[in-house]
Amino acid sequence: MEPNLGTIVRSISIGPNREETGLESLQFREEIHRLMTVPPENGSSFTELLQLPETQAMELLHSAHSDEVVPVPLSGEPLHGINDDHKSYLPSFNGNLTFPSNKVLIERAAKFSVFASGEHSPETSSVPSDSSANLEKVKSEPAETDSNPNSSQLLVSDPAVNIKNQRSEKRKEREKKGKGCTKKSKIEISQDAEKLPYVHVRARRGQATDSHSLAERARREKINARMKLLQELVPGCSKISGTALVLDEIINHVQSLQRQVELLSMRLATVNPRVDFNLDSLFAPESGSLADSNFHSMVSPLLWPEIPFNGNRQQHQQQWNFDALHRPLWGREEDNHTFITMENSLLNYESANSASLHSNQLKMEL
Amino acid sequence: MRSPSSLKQEFLKRWMRGLQRCTSSKKDMNVLERKKVIKLSADLAIASARNGTTSWSRALIANASRDNDNRILAERILGPESDILIKRVSTSVGTVSCNRKIRSKKILKRSCNSVRRVRKGTHLPQKVLAKSIAKRLVQKRTQILKRLVPGGEFMDELSLIEETLDYIAYLRAQVDVMRCIASATELINHD
Repeated sequence: MEPNLGTIVRSISIGPNREETGLESLQFREEIHRLMTVPPENGSSFTELLQLPETQAMELLHSAHSDEVVPVPLSGEPLHGINDDHKSYLPSFNGNLTFPSNKVLIERAAKFSVFASGEHSPETSSVPSDSSANLEKVKSEPAETDSNPNSSQLLVSDPAVNIKNQRSEKRKEREKKGKGCTKKSKIEISQDAEKLPYVHVRARRGQATDSHSLAERARREKINARMKLLQELVPGCSKISGTALVLDEIINHVQSLQRQVELLSMRLATVNPRVDFNLDSLFAPESGSLADSNFHSMVSPLLWPEIPFNGNRQQHQQQWNFDALHRPLWGREEDNHTFITMENSLLNYESANSASLHSNQLKMEL
Repeated sequence: MRSPSSLKQEFLKRWMRGLQRCTSSKKDMNVLERKKVIKLSADLAIASARNGTTSWSRALIANASRDNDNRILAERILGPESDILIKRVSTSVGTVSCNRKIRSKKILKRSCNSVRRVRKGTHLPQKVLAKSIAKRLVQKRTQILKRLVPGGEFMDELSLIEETLDYIAYLRAQVDVMRCIASATELINHD
């Protein structure tokens, strides 16, 4: 056994063309040394394992199709599982009987240590998680050094590479999910709209799959979505492309709106002698007729003749009296309903003065 | 978002109520005072309509209650619900002061970084230069926007954009309502 293992170790060091051998050759060596040290520790059980699987391995190698040729070893089930796993790799080793048997044995031993109860040292139990990938590489390297036909070599290398890709993909997905989870937890605090715990961000072709860049990309996408909403809200922004110009437009819009508010408040202040507007006097005459909520059409002609009366009254000091009369109006609970209808009437009155298009607009707005 | 018409109605209601409460004490005010009162009550009306759900409304109320002269007015305008609101706002004011410390640190960092960037900028290729220029433009504009939106200085980009959305909707509603009332009263007065 040991000289064969020694050749495996040497072949690993020889193999220069493989990309994975950088760090993993060291791993290999460590694990294989661990494996090598295992037999003296648990001498009896390991040799038992080796003996039995040897015969099995030989048989299985010779007959690749037979599923039933699974002899019952010490504990039947795990080896069944192991055998089924190794079936895919066995056809590639038809050329060599000496090396593959050893590798298969090593695999079996490593995996067996997982399934068996705690006789084996914890090192070997930690090995199988990585060993499945590593041992495939172990298999593949001697396959290279041996004079194998290329087909079997490819067969060997493909599962190793595929499995390595799968594992890296799994790692990436785990990273994505993990990072997305943390990112989500941050965002949930700030926003109520998104309630998903995970962000399933798919890495596009040619983009980095770092957890940081994924989080950044998710953040950027959110910002772009909000910017689109802003563009729709601000008039004249939808044609502009580019964040800086859109922001320019938004700033101009906000500034103009703020200035308008200032101007209008100044206007209102100058128009009225008192701050409390004329809504009282405006609404006063209609207080009786405001039972219905749907009176838009009725009220506007009503308002129209009343205006000159209101205007005359206002210019005198009698508005104070009106206030006193109609303050209880405000205080009542019904006011909320009537107030809103009053407002509707006011705005409809507005529209009656202006063009009909405006009136439709205001009605729509209300 | 919220429907604009309900927003307008709500705003008008609160505004009128606030104005009434404010003018019940003082009878004579000059134009500027009136304008201030009108604007203040309008701001507070809409801010209270949001009930402290948005950050800019909280900042408005906080700004209003900061000066002592305005404070009494503001409290009167807000009326009986003012206590709850002001408490809620003051809890967020604490975070504002923390944000100020963070902001000063950020300013220091930014100044250091910009110095570094200027030195390295001469060696970069054109694409990267263009990108950095664009980024700086965007940053300048976000700073301006932060100054415009009340309480926006301490927010990150995402929440800033959301606040601007809300704030623009509110400003529009305010402008529309004020314009209606102004033109209505003017029409009445001219008759």
